[in-house]
Amino acid sequence: MDPFLISVLSNIGLFSFLALSAWLLLIGGEISFGQQAYFAFGAYGGGIATAVWGWPFPLALLWGAGLGAGVGALVAWPAARLSGVHYAIATLAFAELTRASLNIFRYQRDVDGYLTGPDGANGFGDIRWVYETGIAPGTYLALIAGLLFAVITAIALASRFNLLAQLRMVGEDPILAGMQGLHVLRWKVGAAAAAGAIAGLGGGLYAHLATYVEPAQFSVMTGVHAVAYGLIGGLGTALGPILGVLIDIGLLESLRALAAYRMIVFGGLVALILILRPRGILDESLVAKVRAWARR
Amino acid sequence: MLKIRDVQTSYGKIAALKGVSLDIEDGGLTSLLGPNGAGKTTLIWTIAGILKAQAGSMKINGEDILGLKAHQIVSKGIVTVPENRLVFPEMSVTDNLIAGAFSRHRDKGGIESDLEDVLTRFPRLRERADQLAGTLSGGEQQMLAVGRALMARPKILLMDEPSTGLAPIIVEEIFEIIGRLRDEGRTIFLVEQNAHMALKYADRFFLLEQGKVTFSGTPGEVDEKEVLERAYLGARKAG
Amino acid sequence: MLDLVQNTVDGIAAGAAYALLAIGFTLIFGVMRRLNIAFGPSIMVGVFLGAWVHAQWSAGLVGAAVATFIGALIASAYIERLSFAAIRGDAALASMASSFALWMQLEQGVALAFPGRTTAFPGLPALPDLETAGLFLRGDDIMILAVAGIVLIALHRLIYHSHFGLEMRALADNPEAARVAQVNTKRVAFLTFCLAATVGAVAGVLIAAADGQISPKFGLWATLKGLIAMMIGGLGSLRGALLGGLVLGVVEAQAQWYLGAAAREIIVYGLLFVCLILLPAGLAGVRDTGAARKL
Repeated sequence: MDPFLISVLSNIGLFSFLALSAWLLLIGGEISFGQQAYFAFGAYGGGIATAVWGWPFPLALLWGAGLGAGVGALVAWPAARLSGVHYAIATLAFAELTRASLNIFRYQRDVDGYLTGPDGANGFGDIRWVYETGIAPGTYLALIAGLLFAVITAIALASRFNLLAQLRMVGEDPILAGMQGLHVLRWKVGAAAAAGAIAGLGGGLYAHLATYVEPAQFSVMTGVHAVAYGLIGGLGTALGPILGVLIDIGLLESLRALAAYRMIVFGGLVALILILRPRGILDESLVAKVRAWARR
Repeated sequence: MLKIRDVQTSYGKIAALKGVSLDIEDGGLTSLLGPNGAGKTTLIWTIAGILKAQAGSMKINGEDILGLKAHQIVSKGIVTVPENRLVFPEMSVTDNLIAGAFSRHRDKGGIESDLEDVLTRFPRLRERADQLAGTLSGGEQQMLAVGRALMARPKILLMDEPSTGLAPIIVEEIFEIIGRLRDEGRTIFLVEQNAHMALKYADRFFLLEQGKVTFSGTPGEVDEKEVLERAYLGARKAG
Repeated sequence: MLDLVQNTVDGIAAGAAYALLAIGFTLIFGVMRRLNIAFGPSIMVGVFLGAWVHAQWSAGLVGAAVATFIGALIASAYIERLSFAAIRGDAALASMASSFALWMQLEQGVALAFPGRTTAFPGLPALPDLETAGLFLRGDDIMILAVAGIVLIALHRLIYHSHFGLEMRALADNPEAARVAQVNTKRVAFLTFCLAATVGAVAGVLIAAADGQISPKFGLWATLKGLIAMMIGGLGSLRGALLGGLVLGVVEAQAQWYLGAAAREIIVYGLLFVCLILLPAGLAGVRDTGAARKL
């Protein structure tokens, strides 16, 4: 496979983790501008695990996902009382706090004679596990795709067991949901933990592919993009945020000649889509229609 | 039987309920009447666990329920049909109904048969089973809300102003449904502005004025005209 | 101790600009119940237009300021039409996402039209610096405070003593009732956007002139400052926006002085986070009216 295509697909895959993470919270009724923080925790955590502590890769990924879940839940617990703009800005504040803290976070150890580890604003390089073990880019793409598929399958399973519907109820109307017997706080924190885990997993995968991460990469813009993908692609299904990523990065690639104007085109496209379909392309009513049709 | 004694609920500094006491007896329809702003919705939300009372007690069959959260109240069999936020608009009619039964989510067979019962009881909902609830008319949404509450197999049904915003002919339809539920022996606590309709179906009623219960009785034994006056206009001050 | 006071003085000047930005956000959120996150970039368009006009015709500060207002108004009108007026009433999330998309457009547009990390902007007229009791008030800061003060007074008169202000407040309080009272809600919404653009343009001119230059990063920067100030002060309150802006300015100045730039960021965002968790009503004590529930 063309190495360029592999690189593009890998990017799409990695961003999809971030987009799914934001989407899950949107379903639960919260806008988070801060999922990039858990992506960062996964990237730094996973990177430190392999590069500094010499952990095996799968364990490092698990560690990154776990960090994302833990921190996500920790932030969501006090923030759950908030909603709307307050929640959005609180998550933005936490994410920026994370980024600003990473700018002064130094943790370097001697590994095989080299000083390895995060060096504040200078970044964190030499996350070389993938290259040292000689994994080909194509294989890594398969890994990204496989894990992404696993996440989507987990979400589909949750849908099957009515878990997703309950989360949607909490998202649409927490008071009414409470009246149906749902423990709203538990759902909000649970969704935040799951979203944090997904973002953390993506972050760990990202760090090992890029081999170098720095705090500036986990910016507000990244976070707002993540939310936008779900809103554009559609809130009705987990495939929505992925569609959003495809549209953005796919557009970038197909408009190579117009690369300089990509954001202008993408921005205009998004604004138009949202006028026609305020809940995204694959919105709830479309998904309901498809389901009804499939039932026949 | 739900016993409410001296319940006080405030919004910040504003006292909405200033010591409400009433009994909701098993079986039959108990109605709470009163003018706007008397605190009727506040009382429903306090019982439902959405608002926290600052004082007083609420006991169902001797068990204390004051201070329990909304989902815990549901598990005690007290189910609310709220005013205004009737349905989950982005979910289908069927999904809305199933949502009502989440507190009994393990009882799959029971939920299926209850769903059948509700759709039979409300043929219009069966017609629109796959439609998004947000596209239903006001009366249909109210029916859906009642149906959803029934899915929880409630011991007590709390209904907050089901006639709100509905055309008179639809209001009659809704009350017929409520009447049928009462005839089946269910316990219903109905809060209503439309005192005339409420009195037609109530077995007993209470009058809430400015955060306190000022009057109680059964429709047969009181002068309906006087009750209606006070329910709509509030008690006239002497002098 | 003197440092503390000096920093406070410096911080208030910066904070005045932040307050204007926060007021711009608040005007739009208060009246439309939606967040226009493209507000910063729309000001940026104005400021760059001002820089361009100055570069082309040596228009000086006045010419640049006029161009800034025009640019900000055009950009704001563009955003209002596409992201707010065109999207149906209950889809507040869609409006926000759409405004983000337009942000991307505006930012790239500006970056293409003005390559280079910074572009020059005419400076503020040279006022003498004041010095009393060992405290130093720069001429620039005096200018900023004076202009901001005038704008705030004018805004107050407009909002509380004019018919348009009444319509705005009615719409902010209860859209349905306003409509029934024959307030032309669409027109008021559009004009509110224009008002926000004007206030923001003042902030933009002050900041750009004080710096003598502008960069494409201005869009994000102004958005963040405005949002943070608005939230600290209390969402939906103009008084809160003012208070929040001043507090942000002072906290930044103190943190920068005593702890340096890196720590300053940590303190500001940490403060914001804690503020939102512990004091969601903000410093002005705005109670959540439920309008903020679904953005």
